[in-house]
Order: sequence, then structure tokens, then C-alpha cells
Amino acid sequence: MDRLSIEKRLDGQKELLSGLVKKAKTNGIDQVEIYSSYGYSEDVSLEKNDLNNCTATEENMFGIRVIAEGNQGFIISNHIPSLYESIEEAYSLAKSQSTPDFDLGLPEPETISNHFNQYDDSLDLMGIEDLVATAKEALGWRNDLYSKVNIDSGDFSLSKGYKLIVSSKGVMAHELGAELSASVMGMGVDGDLVGSFDYDSASGFNKEQFQNLWKKAFTNFGDKCMGALYAKPSSGFQGKVLLPPEAVYSFFLGLFIGSLNGTSLRKGKSKMAGKLEEKIASSLLSIWDDPTNDRFMGSTGFDREGLPTSKKPILTDGVLHTYFYNTYEAKKAGLTKSNGCATGGAQSLPGCGPKQLQIAPGSSSKDEFFKLPGKTLFVNRISGTKDGASGDFSGVIKGGYVLENGEKIPVREVQVVGNAFDALNQIEAISKEGELLGESSFVPYMLLDGFTITGVTEN
Amino acid sequence: MRNLLKECLAEESGFVELRYHHKESRSFHAERGRVESTALRKRTGIGVRVLEAGTWGFASTSEISKSSIQNAIQVAKKAARLSSALRKDKIPNLPKANFAIGDFIGKGIEDFRTRTVEEKLKLVLDIQNAAAKQSTKLQSVGCGYSEIYEEKAIVTTDGADSFFTMVRPEFRVSAVAKEDGKMESGSHSIGVTGGWDCLFRSQSATEISEEACKTAVDLLSSVLPDGGLSTVILSPSIVGLLVHEAIGHTVEADFVLSGSVAQGKIGQRVGSELVTLCDSGFSEYYEGAGGSIPVDDEGLLPTNTVIIKNGILTSYLHNRETAERFGVAPTGSARAWEYGDVPLIRMRNTFLVPGDSSLEEMIANTKDGYYLDGAKNGQADATGEFMFAVQKAYRIQNGKITDLLKGVTVSGLAFDVLQNVDMVSKEFKWDLGSGHCGKGQPAKVDAGGPYVRTKVLLGGK
Repeated sequence: MDRLSIEKRLDGQKELLSGLVKKAKTNGIDQVEIYSSYGYSEDVSLEKNDLNNCTATEENMFGIRVIAEGNQGFIISNHIPSLYESIEEAYSLAKSQSTPDFDLGLPEPETISNHFNQYDDSLDLMGIEDLVATAKEALGWRNDLYSKVNIDSGDFSLSKGYKLIVSSKGVMAHELGAELSASVMGMGVDGDLVGSFDYDSASGFNKEQFQNLWKKAFTNFGDKCMGALYAKPSSGFQGKVLLPPEAVYSFFLGLFIGSLNGTSLRKGKSKMAGKLEEKIASSLLSIWDDPTNDRFMGSTGFDREGLPTSKKPILTDGVLHTYFYNTYEAKKAGLTKSNGCATGGAQSLPGCGPKQLQIAPGSSSKDEFFKLPGKTLFVNRISGTKDGASGDFSGVIKGGYVLENGEKIPVREVQVVGNAFDALNQIEAISKEGELLGESSFVPYMLLDGFTITGVTEN
Repeated sequence: MRNLLKECLAEESGFVELRYHHKESRSFHAERGRVESTALRKRTGIGVRVLEAGTWGFASTSEISKSSIQNAIQVAKKAARLSSALRKDKIPNLPKANFAIGDFIGKGIEDFRTRTVEEKLKLVLDIQNAAAKQSTKLQSVGCGYSEIYEEKAIVTTDGADSFFTMVRPEFRVSAVAKEDGKMESGSHSIGVTGGWDCLFRSQSATEISEEACKTAVDLLSSVLPDGGLSTVILSPSIVGLLVHEAIGHTVEADFVLSGSVAQGKIGQRVGSELVTLCDSGFSEYYEGAGGSIPVDDEGLLPTNTVIIKNGILTSYLHNRETAERFGVAPTGSARAWEYGDVPLIRMRNTFLVPGDSSLEEMIANTKDGYYLDGAKNGQADATGEFMFAVQKAYRIQNGKITDLLKGVTVSGLAFDVLQNVDMVSKEFKWDLGSGHCGKGQPAKVDAGGPYVRTKVLLGGK
């Protein structure tokens, strides 16, 4: 599958979907939206430090949304010959409902000014043989550098495809994409000693970019597994936690971002309701959403409803500036239109959320965080639970360290309990340095204070 | 479908497995007095797996035709051959297996077919409307019904030849309560393999809703428990999470081969004598367990696998490949979520066998501890360290349940927790049927058991 054949398929599908939408309108179905997601991928998987499987998969999914008399029906199908029947089925699903809301409606089209070309033609010269070679190289790194790390599973993928949206209101947008990606999961094993598992991943637009990022990710994975191998139980304490970029979002930021979702706000499930332009976090924290930068992997010119995306501030020096809306939620909130924050794909109705978060770097040096006086818990990752409404989270720290007097002591069986909304104000420092997670979101290190850390041994 | 698949295999030599999978998922959700979403998802296709030159190859197609399937077989073979040179540990052969032959029609299919969309919409709307009136503190109540109907046909060149169907309905209510700026949530859900009657057999939709709303409201006045190592009585839903997360994952043979904590422990004591743990494709004690399967995704009849017998580790969970490596019979534990997924070793219904105590005796015999109820989520690690989250923790003091506390994360080392089991109740319940297990791909599972007393690390203030 190469660019030419994908473009040919896309052209044919634009015509097909436009025809189906036209036919539906002729038959009295006025509001129809079809979101098509096509993907072809070749994968090589690892298991138990060995190659496991080679796969080739291809699928086209269609999410069909019909709105009739204030009610909505949604069908997901991968069967092209019966797409018109699916439109009728979605219409019937909408008609069977008895609780209309006339704020429901498909959006009017808007001009999309950012057009991304995230399909590098050099990937058309690659195939499963290259993935096997990359897998072989990674197994070599494991043997040469990390013989005590067992690769439980890994995956190397070359994927290509497009997304396309067509609606009866005149929305028509598409984007092609292609990427190389790899991930690995495993743990350190030394005799009877087993460390907690860890993982890492990388992706890139072309071979060279991917290879550089993947080697770094694999080394990071190996170091994390080895770091966790000789971990010991620790005593509990009250104090600071240090979060590397990957842990920032999972530890507390994800809950906060979720609370800015237009649906949660409307349903009274968000503590951030009524807080626009208020200071709700430490002045150190500034966040924005930027899906418009073509250097990022996840950049896109349009959202799940085919409306243009844009760069927008979320928090500036701790002051909240925006919520995330799709067309329906914007209307419920009294706005004239959405802010291009409809999320999802063919397999889901449009949700609300950001596309590509960026966190402003701070002024501290991350190295200084590792030399703080007293005890600090370094949270590599947290395996736990969180509650969107209350903001409460709790979990077990995996691959973590207690940093004490310049020493890094690997620990296990340690838990942290906290609240995401409180944590926004517990930020003590943010590093200058950070990482581009998933090659799309810049995230620095963060130091937070005032946590209860529970351990199994006596103080 | 079986005939078409067999036709495609007629001229094949070597091992080829064809798995046709048609899946329909319906979901209905009501909130704030109206139906918020209705969705129907239909996905059909064929997964092709081959074993060629000692290596697996896989391809899939959504086009159900002889030419498309035969093309996918060739793609899978090419993929296997390309990777064979790299694979060190070649797969020599697959062991003989107890293949499922014939048609296996699941219970509740007729019920699923005859109940109308309107009936399901009315259910979620009526329950939601009634629930929202329960307390002025309730900010929001969401009510959802969903069902997954599946048809599969599995045919292999070495003898599997079956067609089977199953339907899995679920019902869930989630509530958010608010008071003085504080917000708490409560949820309750059930899921079974079977029809509507089976779904609401042990608890009505109204009772489920009342429980979720009460939890949210009650938690408004709760505080965190003291953190630390504590004696706990676990409800069947929590026991389900415990045995699934803490033990189940560590005994999946692929994970064992990667070095999980269960490696090399067959025949060793890993729990107290009160602990007998099973993972079964059937539904012991009462029908409808959510992870029941008539046939696994390698075309085998599933077994009831005794993992731990009276505290001694007796078996891992196997697919055909790992069974060959360990020299044992496959347990029928290979499962794939969609036609485009490769079957992995997965749990089905995981449970502890009930004991002799009653819950009342267990509470009365506990001087200082907690009663944990309401399963949320959980994860396990290669080390055997697990965590699971609970909705509610009740303080037990001097043999009596006292205050309601916020549920938090509970953790421990799998085998330590089993070693510390000192009381097991005679009451039994499947209580994780609305859950999905994640391991690269989702799987419908169930788990449960009796009430159990043991020691875990409780996160807290």
C-alpha cells in the first residue's frame, strides 16, 4: 500500500460518501455525517525476548451520525456495501427516541486554514522486512546492554491511512498520515528477583527521525527496568513528590484537563464549573493546546466534526482561560459555535477535549530536584485509580525512588493519595528541561509538596 | 460460514487457522432526563493465523469471500516466512487439543433478538428519571444499558470446526453527589453472559440504581482511612479483583515465560490451605458469569482450570503454544477481542472456592480492620505486586461495622495476601461481569468468590 493507492482510495471514497449523503437527503434524512477512518498496517511483535508474530491488517471504519427531530442515532460499521442501510438504521435509532433536544445539530462548515502533510513518501520504500530488521536490532540492544531485562512484549508498526469527514451540511475534510512506531514492555529479572514492569515507545514521520527516538526510548526503558529491579519496601512519610514528564499527566494533570470537558461541566460533574478567568492553580503553571504545529505528530487541521483547530491558551500563570467544546456542548453553554475541540474518531460520537497539550517550562534545573534536602519520592509511574468528580486519586508507585541526601533508593510497595485540584496548587517548582511526549506534547519535570506517602515498613 | 472457511482450507498444507467474527454492540445511555446517546457498532471480518517455518503469521480481512480469505492466508504465510530467520525459539508443533466440533448457540440469544430498541431506551430513561429524584444532593445520574452479541466460526487445518454465538448484556448506573463544594461519585454495574432475565436475576435495575446513588451521597460525609498494613474483609467483587489482578495475570503462561513471580512455583505453597483458586470457561455455582465462553479462540473447548488447590500452585493458564512448551494440555484460554486481533492467553471467570464461615462470623471475629466493598479498577505487576481500587471502606471495631470511609487503593504482594487468608465465607457471588480486562486488547471476564479475610496495604491519610 503506497501513497498513490491510498489517495486513489480516498478520492473514490469522497465520491461514495458524498453520494450516500446526497441520497439520504433526497430520502428525507437531512442531517447525516460520515466519519471514515482507513488504516493499513504491518506489524512485528516481540514476546519473551524473541520475535513472536508478523501481521498485516487493513480496515476502514465508518462512524455514521444521523440527527432527526432533536434525536441522534449513531452506527459504526466496517462494511462498505451496506453503508446506506447503516444510514437508515441510524435514522431509525434516532426516530425511536422520545426525548428530543433541538440544540442537537450538525455544524455548518468553516474554512480550514491549516493543511498538514504528515505522509512522508520515504515510508513507501519500507515494508515488513524493515520492521523485522528493527526488531532484530532491538533484541541485540537487549542482549548487549540489558541482559537482565526481559522483554515481555514489543511491537513495531508501519501504518498508513487517512481520515475523512463528509456531512450533509457541506463539511468535507481529509488528512493522510503515515508513521513508524515501536513500543516495548518488560521487567528486570535477576534469579528470583523480579522488578516491576515498565514500558516506553517512540514514533516518527520518517525512518531517521524514528530510529533516533526509538533508540532513546529503548535505553530509557532498559534503565527504568533495571532501576526497579532491586527495589525494597520503604517507610511512609509526609513530603514532596518529583514527577518526570511521563508521570505529570497520569499523576494529576489528566484529571484536571478532564474537568474542563464541556459535557462534564454541563452535567454538574466538574469542580471547574464557573471558574473561567479565576486563578485555580499555582502561578508557575501555564498550559496551552496547540494542534497547529506541523513538527508535532498529532497535529491536525480539523477536529472530529470537521471544524478547524487552533492554538489556544488553557492556563496562564495559574489563571483558567477556556473549556473544551464540541458543537452541541458549545450551544448548551450559550456559545455561537464550538472552539474546534471535538475529539474522537470513527468509532465514537464527538467528545470534548484538547488535541495537543503544551506545558510551559519553568526556571528550575531538573538536576537540582535530585539533590533536595530531606526525603522526596520520585514517581516513575502510578498504578492506581482516580475519580473525575472529586479529583481524588490514589495508587501504587512503580519504578519509583526515594531521593534522600543525594541518594536514589529504589522502592516498592509505596502508595500515594491526593487530590488533583489541590495538587494544582501544590506545585513547588517546574523544570526548564522537559520532553516531547508522543512526539507531540511538551511536558517538563514538576516538584509538588504536601503528600501522604504510605509504606509497608515502620517509620 | 463453517463450510466457506473449510473450502478455503481445502488445499492448504501446514497449520492454518481461520476465525470468522461478527460482533454487534448496542449501547443506550440516559442522563439528565433524556436519552443522551444510542449507538450500534457492527464489525465483521476474518482473522487468519498460520504457523509456517516455526513462526506465527497473521492477517485479517473484512471482506467475507473465498478469494479475499485465500489472499489473507498468503499474506500471513509471507509474513511468517519473513520473520522466521529472526525467531530463535521456533514453535515445532501444536499439541493435540480437545477441539470444539459443531454449533454452540449461547443462552439468551432469542431474548436479545426479540426485545425492542424502545424497550431498552425506556429502561434507561425510567431508571434515570427515578434515580435523580432520590436525593437533592445528586448532581447527576447516568444510566446505561449495553449488549455485545457475537458470532464466531473457527476452523483449522488440524481439526477445529465450530460455530458459536453468545450475548453479553450489561447495566450500569453512575451518580455524582455534591454538598458544600465537595463532590463524590458512586457507581454500580452488572454484566452477564445470557439474556435480560439473567442480567436482573439477583438485583433489579432499581436496586442497582439505588445502590449507586446511596454510595455517592454517603461518601459526602466520609473521610480517608488511616494508611498502612490492615486486616480486611473483602466482598466478592473485591475478591474477584484480587484473584484476577493479583494471581490471575501472574499465572498466564506467556507472562510466566517472561519471568513473572509465578515462574517455577508449580507444586509450591503460595497460599493458605483455605485458598483454592480456579479459572473457568463455565459458570460455576450459578449461571451467567460474564467471561463464559463455549469455545476459545483457537477452537478448543474450555476447561475449569484449578490454579491453586488448598494453597498449592497447580496450573498456569495456557494456549496451544505454551501448553506444548510446558508439556501439558491447553486450558482453552486463548482469546481475541476482534477479528483483527491475535488470540492471547486471557482469563475467563476467575474465582475462589467458597469456605465454611459466614460473613457475620467473619465480622464478629475481627477486632480491628476494614470491610472493603465496591470494585473499581486494578492492575498487577510481574513482581506479584498488585493494586485495586475500592469504592467504600467500612471500619470494623470490636466485631462491629462502624464508620463509612472513602475507598482508596489497596495493594500487596499476591502470594503474601493469599498466605494471609484466614477466613473464607460460604456465600458466593460472581461480581465482576461488567468489567473488561486489558492486556494489549480488552476481554470480557468475570470474577468473584466468597467473602475473604486477609491483610493488605491500604492507602490513606
